[in-house]
Amino acid sequence: MLIVLGDEHKEHLGFLSTVDVEVVREFCRLAVEFLKKGVTTKVYQSASQKLGVDVETVQHGVEGLMYLMTECAKLMVSEIDFQDSVMVLGFPEELNAELLRLYLENRKEIRAILGELTMDLPHYHDLEWRLDVQLACRTLRHQTDPTVMLKLHTKDSGESAVQVLQTDPANLVHLTNSLDRALSELKTAHCRRIMRNIKS
Amino acid sequence: PGYDLFQVMKFRFCGDLDCPDWVLAEISILSKITSVKMKLLCNQVIQDLLQGSMDYAKVFKLTADAKYEISDVKAAIAALLFIFSSAAKYDVDSESLSSELQQLGLPKENSAALCKAYGDGHDKLQARFRQQSLRLSRFHSVDWRVDYVISSSEVKTVEEPCVQLKVNKLSDETGEVESTAFTLSPVKFRLLMSELKQAQMMMEAMSSS
Repeated sequence: MLIVLGDEHKEHLGFLSTVDVEVVREFCRLAVEFLKKGVTTKVYQSASQKLGVDVETVQHGVEGLMYLMTECAKLMVSEIDFQDSVMVLGFPEELNAELLRLYLENRKEIRAILGELTMDLPHYHDLEWRLDVQLACRTLRHQTDPTVMLKLHTKDSGESAVQVLQTDPANLVHLTNSLDRALSELKTAHCRRIMRNIKS
Repeated sequence: PGYDLFQVMKFRFCGDLDCPDWVLAEISILSKITSVKMKLLCNQVIQDLLQGSMDYAKVFKLTADAKYEISDVKAAIAALLFIFSSAAKYDVDSESLSSELQQLGLPKENSAALCKAYGDGHDKLQARFRQQSLRLSRFHSVDWRVDYVISSSEVKTVEEPCVQLKVNKLSDETGEVESTAFTLSPVKFRLLMSELKQAQMMMEAMSSS
């Protein structure tokens, strides 16, 4: 699948052909850092001073490179397609080879970072439980009512939430049976078929 | 074949269930250090369980002789944390724990050192776990005041005592004190007191029997 680069994008990336291969490598490192943690203008300023160009040119160069890498990583663009897409820019052969090398080197990491950026739903974090027996209350004495108290901790993109629940042993058995059945669904022929197809 | 046998065996320190695979895998790592170092390492782990503080620098020094990688150190600590907390949870005695660990392949000297540390810390561990058990909130304190109402906007002469109660509870989640304040008439207050006294008698009967 070919990546079609917009005109503005091509212009920004054009800067990369005017500098050394080493600088391109450094820009790529900055681009990956950008994805992981974000980049401060200080970094751009020191780079622009060293190279003797505008801060904006440096910023556009890094951002253009980052966008190129993430788009290609997102779509799992093959080597050949990447080379064809980049050839459009009219860069020297050495730079094309360097960009390809950087793409292949960082692709896995970029995909891992992109994977973490997806939408998150509240997910299980921890479950505390306690078994109590109610022996008496204000209105009724000589009881023996077992109850299980559950404290469910969930996490949703970093924020924790707590749910306190109470159940009796019969419901607890029902709950665990339902969950067991859900787990054993994975072993059915239908699920196995789908998992096989996804893997290949 | 020997490995499969372990899967079938039930261990008391695992609550009469199978020993988790990952713990089994770490036994070989735990077998690599000397029994002296094992005892010191166990002390660190117990300290972490009791107080949540582990001196990682010391742990790295202890395991340096056995040439533990960082992943080995983490694995050993994780396995020991599991063994100690699980054994304390299921109230296993030191001798049983020692024999079960030896069945898993831990050398006799290391097992003895581990179980000595366990035996020493057993009561403290259980007390700590009891304290950490699920609680919704804890009673903190109660403040009270007796007032005498002379008059009000509704009726000119009231002339009645009333009790103001402020119950402070310590929330288990936020760790902050939350208070609930309310007023009681003499009748209601006596009712509350008698109900609470009945509950107290019941609790005392429970603890003594």
